Amino acid sequence: MNKKLLAAISVIVVIIIVIGVLAAVQSTQKPQSEEKRLLRIGFSWPTYIDPAVGSDYSSSTAFTNLYDPLIFPGEKGVPKPWVAESWETSSDGLTWTLHIKQGIKFHSGDELKAEDVVFSFQRLLAIGKGYAYLFTPYIDSVTAVDDYTVKVTLKKPYGPFVATMMRVYVLDKDVVMQHIKKPGPYGDNGDYGTDWLLTHDAGSGPYKVKEVVLEDHVYMTRFKDYWGPMTENAADEIHMLALAQPATEKTLLTQKQLEISSQWLPEETIDALKKENYLKVSIFPGGDEFYLMMHTKKPPLDDVHVRKAIAYAVDYETIVDQIFPGNPVAKGPVPSYIPGAATDLPTYYRDLDKAMEELQKSKYWPDIQNNPNKYAIDFHWISEVPAEEKVAIMVAQNLQEIGLKVNVVKVPWLSVVEEMANITTSPHIVSVFVSAHYAEAGSLLESRYHSKSANTWEQNEWLLNETIDQMIEDALSTIDTNERYQKYAEIQRAIMELCPSVFLFEHMLKVVHQDYVKLPGDEGYYTGVMGYDFDGRLIEVLSTT
Amino acid sequence: MFKYILVIDIKSKIVRCVFKMRAIWKYVGKRVLYVIPTLIGLSILIFILSRVLPGDPALMAAGPNAPKWVVEQIRHQLRLDKPLWQQYYYWLVDLFHGDLGYSIYTKRSVTVDVVEYLPASLQLIFLAALFEIGGALALGIISGRYAYKLPDNMVRVLAYIGISVPSFVWGLLFQLIFAAIIPLFPSHGMYSYGTIPPPRVTGFSLIDSLIAGQFDTFVDILWHMVLPAFALSLGAMAQDARIIRAGMVDTMQKDHVSLVRAYGIPERTIFSKYILKPSLVPAVTVMGMDIASLLGNAFMVEMIFQWPGFSRYGINVMLNKDINGIVAVVLVVGIIFAIANIIVDVVVAYLDPRIGRRSA
Repeated sequence: MNKKLLAAISVIVVIIIVIGVLAAVQSTQKPQSEEKRLLRIGFSWPTYIDPAVGSDYSSSTAFTNLYDPLIFPGEKGVPKPWVAESWETSSDGLTWTLHIKQGIKFHSGDELKAEDVVFSFQRLLAIGKGYAYLFTPYIDSVTAVDDYTVKVTLKKPYGPFVATMMRVYVLDKDVVMQHIKKPGPYGDNGDYGTDWLLTHDAGSGPYKVKEVVLEDHVYMTRFKDYWGPMTENAADEIHMLALAQPATEKTLLTQKQLEISSQWLPEETIDALKKENYLKVSIFPGGDEFYLMMHTKKPPLDDVHVRKAIAYAVDYETIVDQIFPGNPVAKGPVPSYIPGAATDLPTYYRDLDKAMEELQKSKYWPDIQNNPNKYAIDFHWISEVPAEEKVAIMVAQNLQEIGLKVNVVKVPWLSVVEEMANITTSPHIVSVFVSAHYAEAGSLLESRYHSKSANTWEQNEWLLNETIDQMIEDALSTIDTNERYQKYAEIQRAIMELCPSVFLFEHMLKVVHQDYVKLPGDEGYYTGVMGYDFDGRLIEVLSTT
Repeated sequence: MFKYILVIDIKSKIVRCVFKMRAIWKYVGKRVLYVIPTLIGLSILIFILSRVLPGDPALMAAGPNAPKWVVEQIRHQLRLDKPLWQQYYYWLVDLFHGDLGYSIYTKRSVTVDVVEYLPASLQLIFLAALFEIGGALALGIISGRYAYKLPDNMVRVLAYIGISVPSFVWGLLFQLIFAAIIPLFPSHGMYSYGTIPPPRVTGFSLIDSLIAGQFDTFVDILWHMVLPAFALSLGAMAQDARIIRAGMVDTMQKDHVSLVRAYGIPERTIFSKYILKPSLVPAVTVMGMDIASLLGNAFMVEMIFQWPGFSRYGINVMLNKDINGIVAVVLVVGIIFAIANIIVDVVVAYLDPRIGRRSA
């Protein structure tokens, strides 16, 4: 071979060797940093760490660690005193008096007082995003009676008010006001600090912001003067990472560069990772349920017998065994572990004889059997969740067995949201996961079946039932908890009778984590409230990095 | 006498150089003028498209349970309550003030987003371009020089594999092999844990780390860039190598090569000046477009390697129907394509002066 060619190839080989050696050297040299208990968790993005803006899973997880709420969810979501160490309500349920715990320090060093609580409420209501919708219809005014007492006046009685206070995260008023930008959409309050709070916090939580790169990560570092209880071996730093690719998560887990995976790993990836002896799988309730939402105003689903026929035809067991293993079949409209869920409801199950019986009672019989194309049912599944396609195909096969024709349609999430905003464009069936906003059955009953949510993605049923609306409003205005739960149970029975949805399964969160991380879920402890699953107060990291 | 001839010769060379520079600037100026109406047309098209895509951006930004007044406030903030032509007019006015609008995805100015994320992608693409050009030249020259022999066949097989495998598959493979199985390179991100990012001066972290004297940070960032840059470059590298090879094989058969060989000109000079240089014209054109298209196509690689770049930002704003973000991303990619086009035209004019004279 030509000398010059040999020389050229030699140069290329030498360059490759040099890069390889440099890489090997660099890979063995880690930047100087003290050893810390590091907890790196994968999430889907975006994450907004401003409590008045975010309300999704990753944002709520950030709030849990950066801030303290007025009420904290204990085991199974039972409210326990937190910043509000006690409370009482007037006999008409319109005035709530909250007593604020003394001695809580913000990250700035200032003490948390009633004016900060008032400010947090007012800010949330003024901005109107995030979890504001839980309070806007009910709160009339919030005032500080003294340094440690807050009075909340409601427009109407609101029974779940205590449970909803898990979503009131207390901000340091002085710090926020120091960073407002004017002019802004909130008058004298400028932008209310929304720009600054994108990448900073004003909380009192066990962690404070170290670094935020909006597209990429939120790094939090331990707040040494935290007032509340922390488990031994709690993390020194929590890193929330935007991880969109299962392959990347898998690599990071096997390289021990990620402590806890996101909840969206496909089953195949989880099965592969389970084989590693240093990785564990943790399963715990996520506070949400998977529904097939049936449009009750669109023929043939406007007939309750057709809907019941569908509910009796679906193969629940195969769906949870083959497509979503580990998720229990739902027992009703509300996951069984949520406070106020009725567990003695007459449920639907696969029984083709019963399905045919119901179909034959419908006004469309026998036309529906003779002309299936005329009554074709459009089943829209969300393209961002590929497993839903398998559910749609399985349901189509099940319904074919009773003579119903189903068109399976793949639709992106944005299009689904737009379709469901209009009664005409809403499809016959949409498969959606819906979460409770607070730890009570009333949250799901209201968001799923009250008329005011009919044009949102949380309700494709278009139930528009005045009786159900009144029952829900009555239950929500009942202050006594037991009485309120009884009313929830009646609503759930009525819903089962109307059969507006197929209640497929209660969604369990599945995450893969390193064996040196101890999650409360491993010991059967869960709150069932979104965002409180990865509470740095409770997670132990037994190894340093 | 000779002294005077030398002075005259140097002067004439300088004059020729000056005239050549003026010709190049005139050429570039003409190209820029052609590009402006293209970009205006692109902005109108993407502006309209972003507004007719399914989904209500105001509702997306406010959240599904937000009260109507919040949705209307956002709609007003995004000017969606105005007629389409007015929306475009205000957008254009803001653009001339450097304001690309508000992002409902990042909840801040789109201009800030572009300034933050674009440099990260550009430096990744720059390294990918170096890999692409270097690799394409090396493989193309070997292949062309030894056409129809073993080296050519080996390069051909490599090229077919390189062209047929998408860049994100290379990314996954490299991550698996060189970050997981043989951990030579990092699997994700721009910095290792514990590395202190350099203070922001230019926005290009490599340059900023050099300015700050943080050489270990410089090496750390470069180390993080190798795998994603290589994954991005492979497909185009393979394609460009084949084009160079085809050009060389074609040129080697031309009469002028036989002629200069007959004159006794050294083989090395024949190769570099009479065979390689003309063969590069088609390759340079394709290379330029390939490099420009990396910005739009890098999103999968950026997502796999968690590279905080512009392409990843672009895909996220599209998925979240962030209308201002969508328009900004498409416009920036369009501008980069236009700049790449101009650079390619200048290089091609240099390589083949006949093309430059024709275009002038």
